[in-house]
Amino acid sequence: MSFDLNLIAESLPLMLMGIGITFKLLIVSGFLGLILAICLLLMRISGRWFLNFPAQVYIYVFRGTPILVQIFIIYYGLPQFEAVRDSIFWPILREPTGCAILALTLNTGAYVSEILRGGVLGVSKGVLEAGSALGMSARQNFIYLTAPIATRLALPAYSNDVISLLKSTALASTITIADMTGIARTIVADTYAPYEIFISLAIVYMIFTFGIQKLFGVIERYLGRYMEREG
Amino acid sequence: MDVLTGWWDDYFWGAIVVGQVFMCSLGLMIIFGLLGAMAKLSNSRVAQKIAGAYTVIFRGTPEILVILLLYFGSAITLTAIAQIFNPEIKFVDVPPFWAGTIAISIIVGSYATETFRGAFLGVNPGSIEAARALGMSNLQTFIYVRIPEMWRLALPPFGNHMLSLIKDTALISIIGLNETMFVAKQAITVTGKPFTMYIVVGAIYLGFSTIITLVVMGIEKFGERTTIGAK
Repeated sequence: MSFDLNLIAESLPLMLMGIGITFKLLIVSGFLGLILAICLLLMRISGRWFLNFPAQVYIYVFRGTPILVQIFIIYYGLPQFEAVRDSIFWPILREPTGCAILALTLNTGAYVSEILRGGVLGVSKGVLEAGSALGMSARQNFIYLTAPIATRLALPAYSNDVISLLKSTALASTITIADMTGIARTIVADTYAPYEIFISLAIVYMIFTFGIQKLFGVIERYLGRYMEREG
Repeated sequence: MDVLTGWWDDYFWGAIVVGQVFMCSLGLMIIFGLLGAMAKLSNSRVAQKIAGAYTVIFRGTPEILVILLLYFGSAITLTAIAQIFNPEIKFVDVPPFWAGTIAISIIVGSYATETFRGAFLGVNPGSIEAARALGMSNLQTFIYVRIPEMWRLALPPFGNHMLSLIKDTALISIIGLNETMFVAKQAITVTGKPFTMYIVVGAIYLGFSTIITLVVMGIEKFGERTTIGAK
């Protein structure tokens, strides 16, 4: 047993070819998931039970089941139905990438909506009362006061969720997608050198995690630029 | 529902395996988390550095990579060690149960480290001073003052760690543990109904998540019984 550095030098470029897919999964499902999360959030805080209740059930189901099960239900499960195979969504659902993006979007949307709700609930009452006193409508209050403050409050938790989304993209390799993890698993199956391959890939993921943390640190500082406190 | 006839007992035993993995990894996760928190709070710079590396590494790496690395890596290492003593041995088989259980408890333990650390720091310094004034030793202070105050603070985030743990058990099916995902795969090859089979898996996990959430709520109530009105 030895640690073969040449093997890493050979296989790292191969694994990095999967960066594109990993990032595509991360960015597309991150963006769509955020839109879904905002819709769910609006349903949750609408104060109408027929909007609030379905959103709550959705969040409960998607946060209570493993993402791997969700991916498998969508990729292996949905084609069981004739209706799905005949529908206009079939070109997306036929492709593993489309299924992975759909599953990751649905999953992250549930988590992010709860994070955003935490932000909305964290907005102090006084600010909203001040808004009303200035004659702002409920809608104006939400757009000009709640939304910006809640964004700032939710950002640290949101960055953690983006990191767990990055880690979840690795599960796409279970439905034959050749992302970085998928390529690494193929190489390990050929060379049987798990230490070299998986550890070097883990370092790549850690670098991305670090990058995401730094990026959100910059955004947080930018959004919080009025928040400098004295003393 | 007819297709499920005859599979219920397989699912039941699969769910038992999920429960076993959960209980074993829960114990290990608490140990890893406490060790990590102690190291971070200790005065030794080396221990702090090691615990810091532990949390950074396992919070930044996809769970599936850790599981694959531990499973294939330990097989190679143990084979190499076994061959030193007996060159006849071709291959040592590592049980996926333990490889997976240890992997997910290391991962979630890295999150628990931060939770426990925060909870220990949240213990009221006045309580510790009072214990000192009463002549308690360090160990007595730890057992009678720090732990009882700390677990109440740690419980809400710890409940979330338990939920991640139960959901991560699904990943162990990738290395061939015969839990519910594995049962579903077998059932699909026979019945050809992937959606139905994976939905059952989802329902089982939803059941586990619900039980954990309810138990945590119960323990939280129990923990607050002496402090109600004191806040």
